[in-house]
Amino acid sequence: MIEVRELTKKYGDRVAVNGISFSVKRGEVLGFLGQNGAGKTTTMKILTCFMSATSGSASVAGFDVFENPMEVKKRIGFLPETPPIYPELLVSEYLSFVADLRGIPSADKAKKIYAAVDRCYLGDVRNRLIGNLSKGYRQRVGIAQALIHDPEVLILDEPTVGLDPKQVSEARSLIKSFSQERTVIYSTHILSEVAATCDRIIIINKGNIVAQEAIGSLGAGGATKTELIIQRPVESLPAALRKIPGVTDVKEFSNGTNRLVVESEQRDDLMAQLSKTVVEQGAGLIRMSPVQLALEEYYLGLIGGRRSEA
Amino acid sequence: MNGAIAIAKKELRTYFYSPVAYVIIGIFLLVMGIIFAKFVAIYHQANTMQRFGQAQGITLDKLASYLYQNMAFILCFVTPFLTMRLFAEEKRQNTLELLFTAPITGLELVLGKFLAAYALMTMMMGVSFIYVLFMILWGNPEGAIIATTYLGLFLALACYISLGALISAISSSQAIAAVWTFIVLLLLWLLQSIGQGLTTKWGFIEWGPTLVYLSPLGHFSSFIEGLLNLKDFVYFITFTFFTLFLTHRVVESNRWR
Repeated sequence: MIEVRELTKKYGDRVAVNGISFSVKRGEVLGFLGQNGAGKTTTMKILTCFMSATSGSASVAGFDVFENPMEVKKRIGFLPETPPIYPELLVSEYLSFVADLRGIPSADKAKKIYAAVDRCYLGDVRNRLIGNLSKGYRQRVGIAQALIHDPEVLILDEPTVGLDPKQVSEARSLIKSFSQERTVIYSTHILSEVAATCDRIIIINKGNIVAQEAIGSLGAGGATKTELIIQRPVESLPAALRKIPGVTDVKEFSNGTNRLVVESEQRDDLMAQLSKTVVEQGAGLIRMSPVQLALEEYYLGLIGGRRSEA
Repeated sequence: MNGAIAIAKKELRTYFYSPVAYVIIGIFLLVMGIIFAKFVAIYHQANTMQRFGQAQGITLDKLASYLYQNMAFILCFVTPFLTMRLFAEEKRQNTLELLFTAPITGLELVLGKFLAAYALMTMMMGVSFIYVLFMILWGNPEGAIIATTYLGLFLALACYISLGALISAISSSQAIAAVWTFIVLLLLWLLQSIGQGLTTKWGFIEWGPTLVYLSPLGHFSSFIEGLLNLKDFVYFITFTFFTLFLTHRVVESNRWR
């Protein structure tokens, strides 16, 4: 769906994006992860034909962004970092303007506006001035704007920045709901968000791609941690746990707490083995949960320059 | 072309949602009203004197030309306030990203903006037809001269607006755009007086006539006198097209930076 090859963008002498290549399949949700100034926004601006690249090529749905920008623009919905809204217009007027810009025939217009309003839960505010809306609503108006023409590709630049926790989770579920029918590229610097919504991530640092992987396989081969909460401490339990193949270490927090952390290799059958052992030892399993530190450690390792881990 | 229409519709809507359009149109009509009242008073006085045998030689057409010359000058003050927001405001609100990622061309964008400002100012000028109505009711003006005058006004207006659009595209804020548009329009008018009597020559360029030609004042004056010269049409039309072309270039340059 999206093909990027050797894309480079320089602002004067400063290299913002340094020969990156990647591709995105139809229906995939790609997380674009990186620090501020890593080149995420620049890449997105090139993909949406807002900006030209210094060298390299990019295509969306088979159309080159430099040679055939009109066709590309028709297929993309874009939410820039700051939602491009006009504070002096009503939500409905704004969406009607965007529909006109997108060349939606007037027969379909009302229906499409209604669909976008409905999708982004803007029903309550459709007749309010955008200038009077809260940050969260403005962001949703921005998303509605990107959706109105049913684009095949959605490009969202930091859609959850500045939202309160409830709005963040709403925005995430909104983004997840697109994934069935659309290709989504979505940038952020919040890790948990990527884990929650994306199929695959690209980590970009100082204009270079330092990793691209499917979320499931992130940190694969490395250690995982599992937390166990038991009913009563049993002397022999740690030793029994250590005997399970794949377990590398067991940490006890003995003083009155019934908590154990098991470090192990990544294995599918491990959870079953652990629970079985705890129950056999008569410790009474109350809770058992994976400790998800993998992504964060992985990410910090990459952008901190310790590339050997990747 | 649909893109241009969408832009123009939105721009016009925005004009009427902000007080700027009402205030500016109000001021324009107030100033024109005062000038027209003065003009009626002078005409009345001249007529009275004529009745007593003291011929003054002030004709209605002469006074009308005085009125419209003033109008063309006042438009120099009014235009900057209506063109200042065209592009500067889009830059400030970060909405250029929306316009550039929508399937419209830069040309449609520029034309849409230009047409919106032109339509608004045409509405404003439309109100001034009331003066024509008065003249017809209580006098006997030369219809053809009024027609060429309005033609000249609309051509000059296109120039002013295209210049305002260009400066708005260059400027980063509305206020700066307004000030510069006003300064440049004023300078263009003054070129006429600067050029007159100037005899400096550089090679084969005679600065006097060149400066006079570059000022819209002389070109507009022939329309007021009822003259339709090809060179005046050429001046206004090339001015407008060239300025809009530059505006298009400036707007497009945003994506190369």
